[in-house]
Amino acid sequence: MSTLTSSQSITLLVLLFPAAGALLLAGRGWRLPRRFTVIVGPVAVWASFICAVNLLLNKVNADFTYGTWISSGTFSVPFNLFVDNLSIFMCLVITGVGGLIVTYSVGYMSHEDGPSYARFFTYMDVFIFSMLLLVLAGNFVFLIVGWALVGLSSYLLIGFWYTRRSAVLAARKAFVMNVIGDVGMILGTFVIFVSYHVVTYRGVFDQVLPCGYPTTGIHRPCLIINDTGALELAAFLLLVGAIAKSAQLPLHTWLPDAMEGPTPVSALIHAATMVTAGVYLVARMHPIYDVATYAHGAVAIVGAVTALLAATIAIVQTDIKRVLAYSTMSQIGYMFLAVGIGAYSAGLFHLLSHAFFKALLFMAAGNVIHAMHDEQDMRKYGGLWRQMRPTSISFLVGSLSLVGVIPFVGFFSKEQILGAAFSKPGDSATLILWAVGFATALITGFYTGRMWWLAFWGKPSPQRPVEHPHEAPPVMLVPVAILAVLATVGGFIQTRALGIGPSAVSDFLASSVGAQGWEETGAAVALGLVTMAVAALLFVAAMRMRPWSARVPWAQRLLEHKYYFDELYDAVFVRPMDGIAGFGQRDIERPLIDGAVIETGAMATAGASGLSLTQSGYFRNYVLVFVGGAVVAAIVILVRASS
Amino acid sequence: MGALSIGGSQLDASWFLLLAAVLFIMGAAGVLIRRNPLVILICIELMLNAVNLTLITFSRQLENMEGQLFALMSMTVAAAEAVVGLAILVDIFHVRDVEDVDELSEMKG
Repeated sequence: MSTLTSSQSITLLVLLFPAAGALLLAGRGWRLPRRFTVIVGPVAVWASFICAVNLLLNKVNADFTYGTWISSGTFSVPFNLFVDNLSIFMCLVITGVGGLIVTYSVGYMSHEDGPSYARFFTYMDVFIFSMLLLVLAGNFVFLIVGWALVGLSSYLLIGFWYTRRSAVLAARKAFVMNVIGDVGMILGTFVIFVSYHVVTYRGVFDQVLPCGYPTTGIHRPCLIINDTGALELAAFLLLVGAIAKSAQLPLHTWLPDAMEGPTPVSALIHAATMVTAGVYLVARMHPIYDVATYAHGAVAIVGAVTALLAATIAIVQTDIKRVLAYSTMSQIGYMFLAVGIGAYSAGLFHLLSHAFFKALLFMAAGNVIHAMHDEQDMRKYGGLWRQMRPTSISFLVGSLSLVGVIPFVGFFSKEQILGAAFSKPGDSATLILWAVGFATALITGFYTGRMWWLAFWGKPSPQRPVEHPHEAPPVMLVPVAILAVLATVGGFIQTRALGIGPSAVSDFLASSVGAQGWEETGAAVALGLVTMAVAALLFVAAMRMRPWSARVPWAQRLLEHKYYFDELYDAVFVRPMDGIAGFGQRDIERPLIDGAVIETGAMATAGASGLSLTQSGYFRNYVLVFVGGAVVAAIVILVRASS
Repeated sequence: MGALSIGGSQLDASWFLLLAAVLFIMGAAGVLIRRNPLVILICIELMLNAVNLTLITFSRQLENMEGQLFALMSMTVAAAEAVVGLAILVDIFHVRDVEDVDELSEMKG
């Protein structure tokens, strides 16, 4: 490897810091003092963050090739990292929000014993490394490696409390669902390799778009390729991966169960970063999706349907983390909707704002759960506003941002998506998507309000496990406060929703994903303002209002069973598989495979015990046989000699 | 059978073979019947010597020295065998006093 330029080294360092942190803590790292873990875990992430900021300040935009990973005939995989504004953007979100959450974990996980404590931070650093690999990968092979590694670290962290059966089951479910996505990714990559004979992004995109990869900042219209069949197939297969990772319908059932993991894990992996990988994927593959119009439409439809269904399920959930999980699914549905209609920067801006406010909500909820001795049922809270003021305010900021109230960051990002959907020209179908997004926004207002009033307002519930909860320690409160500030003022970096002010995120990402091809109309802005206002009203009204579903028992049941997805998968996949496996074990494994081995052993034993009867142990018997044998042999020889 | 000259006198070879046969049968019978391990070892030596006598007899009669060479080798092997046998016996006697080899039937199947 030749000497690296400073940008190349820094890009590599972004990856290496978390990897080094994980290696230091893994193995026997936990034998070192606990202070070591406290320092190494978060510092590895913050160091990576500093490197990412350095990349941002130096305006790095390159495809760094460090060497050849695999070379076999015409197949060649370089080890290259793709640094453009999109990957820098993702790195900043991952390491910035990740750093805050890992710092927060220092306090949240403090009740764990030494080995578990170190294990937690090992996994967290492994996750950060995997996620950075995913977004920095410059070819499909490394993308898959990162993609699978985040699935693995998610599995490890969901099952972190491995003595709890429910946690282990949830981890397994998440892993299986994610592997379905991984298979889709791998097949998609096969299709791409077979069609284009390269696996690097640049090599593929240059062939997909005759106009070249838009590094100039101008999104030029590209020639239409006649043969889009292979691209459609690849795009659909990649979408399977995106859907599984981002918990979209119909591969979403793992995310609510994943809440079995520690709350910082839910905040980092299952809200802020990993589950948004699908959005990143579609944005990264936008040259493919721009051509593969059917797959692109499917992205938007999946997103819209998930947004609506998840929001309705959230209405009836009673576990505070599950409400947040369904709202995460719903918000990622928005992002899918945005990238699905080609409003990439709007989707990615929502990714950023969602990372802020959802991490904030999860961490504030973590403070509450911590104070309530791991009770997660909101009905058993109540009255926390008076007793946990800083956490309550933070949670309120997060909730209002989730609902989309001006001036919180959620307003600007969500409005941009809805506006983009409403005003996309020449495509009336996006109006339906807008309508779904509109309905979802209103439901979001309601369920968020229900959650907030139920948990923090009113009188303390008589079933509350702790009479006088104590506020969280500073190490847990400061990251929450930082995110609360970001969720409050973060929206002002992009106030395009109001038609004035900066649009920093879109401008920054334009060089990677292209500028949005159309402008929002004034009507869209007005409708957005109305939507958010109604949502805010519903938020307030949720204090007294009961959901309509409560008046319709079958609807209530339907929502409480989450549209029977789990039951359906159980009946269609799990139970038939159990049946086949049981049949195999009972009727094939035991009698045939085990039987053959056991019978062989039994026959040998029986034969040996039969033969052992000849071993009397008496010396004279052996001699008698010996002499007798000699006599017989002598007689035989004599008879043969004489004849 | 031809006569062999021993110390000036002539003796028929069949006498030597007869003596060897008697010695061999005595040895074999001793191994089969006696229980004392030392006696059994002695009887084995007896059988070996009977065979040696046969070898030498035929060697003289056929005027072929191979038989005598073989007898010498057989004596060497017999000495080594006696050493091994006695060593085993000594080891057994360290553990317990054995008067009857039938007591050593732990390997009964």
